[in-house]
Amino acid sequence: MKRFSEKQIGLLSSAELRSARGRLLYWFLFFLLVLMVIITVFPALWMILTAFKTTQEIYTSTEILPENFTLVLAVNQIVEAWKMLRLGRSMLNTLGVSAVNAVVAILIPGMAGYAISKRKSRGIGVIFGMVVWTMMMPATVQLVPRYISFISFPLVVDDGMRSVTNVNVLNTYLPLWLGAAANSFNLILFKNAFDAVPNTLLDAARIDGCNEFRIFFLLMLPLCKATVFFVSVGTLSVAWSDYLNPYLILSEADLLTTPAKLFTLQGLPGIPTNVYMMGLVFACIPPALIYIFFQRRMTGGVMMGAVKG
Amino acid sequence: MRKNKIWKIVLGWIFLIPALICLYLYVWRPSLTGIGWSFFKMRGYTPEEWVGFDNYIQVFRTPGFGRVMLNTLQYVFWSFLIGFLPPLFIAFFINEMVHFKNGFRILIYLPAIMPGITVLLLWYFIYYPDQTGLGNQLLARFGIEPYIWLNDSRFTIIFLVLEMTWHGFAGTMFLYYTAIQSIQTELYEAAMIDGAGSVRRFWNVAIPQLSGIILLNIVRQIIAVFQVLQEPMVMTGGGPNGASMSVSYQMYLFGLVQGRVGESLALGTIVFFLLIIGTCFYFYLNKKVEDNY
Repeated sequence: MKRFSEKQIGLLSSAELRSARGRLLYWFLFFLLVLMVIITVFPALWMILTAFKTTQEIYTSTEILPENFTLVLAVNQIVEAWKMLRLGRSMLNTLGVSAVNAVVAILIPGMAGYAISKRKSRGIGVIFGMVVWTMMMPATVQLVPRYISFISFPLVVDDGMRSVTNVNVLNTYLPLWLGAAANSFNLILFKNAFDAVPNTLLDAARIDGCNEFRIFFLLMLPLCKATVFFVSVGTLSVAWSDYLNPYLILSEADLLTTPAKLFTLQGLPGIPTNVYMMGLVFACIPPALIYIFFQRRMTGGVMMGAVKG
Repeated sequence: MRKNKIWKIVLGWIFLIPALICLYLYVWRPSLTGIGWSFFKMRGYTPEEWVGFDNYIQVFRTPGFGRVMLNTLQYVFWSFLIGFLPPLFIAFFINEMVHFKNGFRILIYLPAIMPGITVLLLWYFIYYPDQTGLGNQLLARFGIEPYIWLNDSRFTIIFLVLEMTWHGFAGTMFLYYTAIQSIQTELYEAAMIDGAGSVRRFWNVAIPQLSGIILLNIVRQIIAVFQVLQEPMVMTGGGPNGASMSVSYQMYLFGLVQGRVGESLALGTIVFFLLIIGTCFYFYLNKKVEDNY
């Protein structure tokens, strides 16, 4: 048990905590936080509890806890839900999309951040201003025009003579990858991180015969590991939580990512609530794993989130 | 030597160009065509002929459009009322804890880890109007009849805002928390020597130190909630009877469901310019806040 005397001064000080009034205030705040934990944890817990109820129970009982809970029954429920919802395919899709997303989200904004931070030349300042403005563009407003733009999307097509033709890229993953690459917020994060790397280090590397690509990959990225980390975790989480873009872009059921798949399953007849809840639990597992593995470094990353224009 | 210098500049642009192409294709091109085509009569998704402000007039003539605007403002209002103070206070409280500090931090952060779609669907079931929903299961414990939750048009928006706050407040709280931790303890000590109690230290030491970040968060929250789309889309479909329809969802329905693409683009352009004003204000504040530090 930690002692009040070790407390750093804040709104309450260790001196004040010696008095009964201070203690009372402290435990009142403690109580409020416990209440808050109940509010945050209970709905998530309810999701898991409901997932382990039987279908019959769902429609007859108003109890919050499942009536009879055994390991065999629980495993059975998990297997049944997995078979019924057929999320396997969508999980694989999401895994693939999120992996590609993470790579392009580091590579493309990272390289641009490097150019803006370390390869200053005429016009780059203007470009940076544009990037900052891009970050502030209202996102939802672009939804419909962006959808339209994917119907006739300029691509280099190899039709004998390489030319730019408008192609329909709906029902491909290209728009999702593009969304990960076109992230001005990440670009600015990289730029800020690279700003902190001293130029003398780069000059030393150049004298040793490194070209720019080697400097970027072998010096800059490893030096800014925290940013690389933060960006990739953020990108992975988005792929596992965004339903809207995949839902609009991918109309073929076999291509859907897990969040979009769950959205299309909503309200379908023949899927009982408990099975559906199990689906939600499944969808939470990958982001939870990402969070558990990287929690410590991610909290360091939030500090970097302070973007300076 | 000269050749070398040119090569250096070219190399810089080679690093830059992939990102610029991506930004062009994903943000700039759709934004510009969206504004441009809002003045055209659309046939499917292709512009047909210039019609000036016709689409805009059509938007304003849509029955219930005033209500949609009002609803959106209601979202902003309630999300401010419900969602503004809790993250700030919780951040302060956690910072004051001697016991169980990390535990609180991790457990209260839990909703933010859950994917957005899961939270939306989970709350859809929490508000379910029969005994399958958590809300009614809790009411049943006290012997109260099942309630219709989201179907009660008086409170639909408030219920949606509760879900929004549940999911979003941990992220905001974390921002405040890091800012609170960076307040120098000397300030508190000096204030305490001068006889300031807890409440005085909160008002006269902590809040002035945080006022900048608080202000930025408010503006950002307003801009974000003004664009609310996913809550009505997933949880109510804009209902009951249009009670939770928001501007963004209307835009979505116009453009991608009802085939009224021109109107959708016009509405998008209106919202775009409204929000750009908000964004300019945000930048102005941001600059001021940074100058103060």
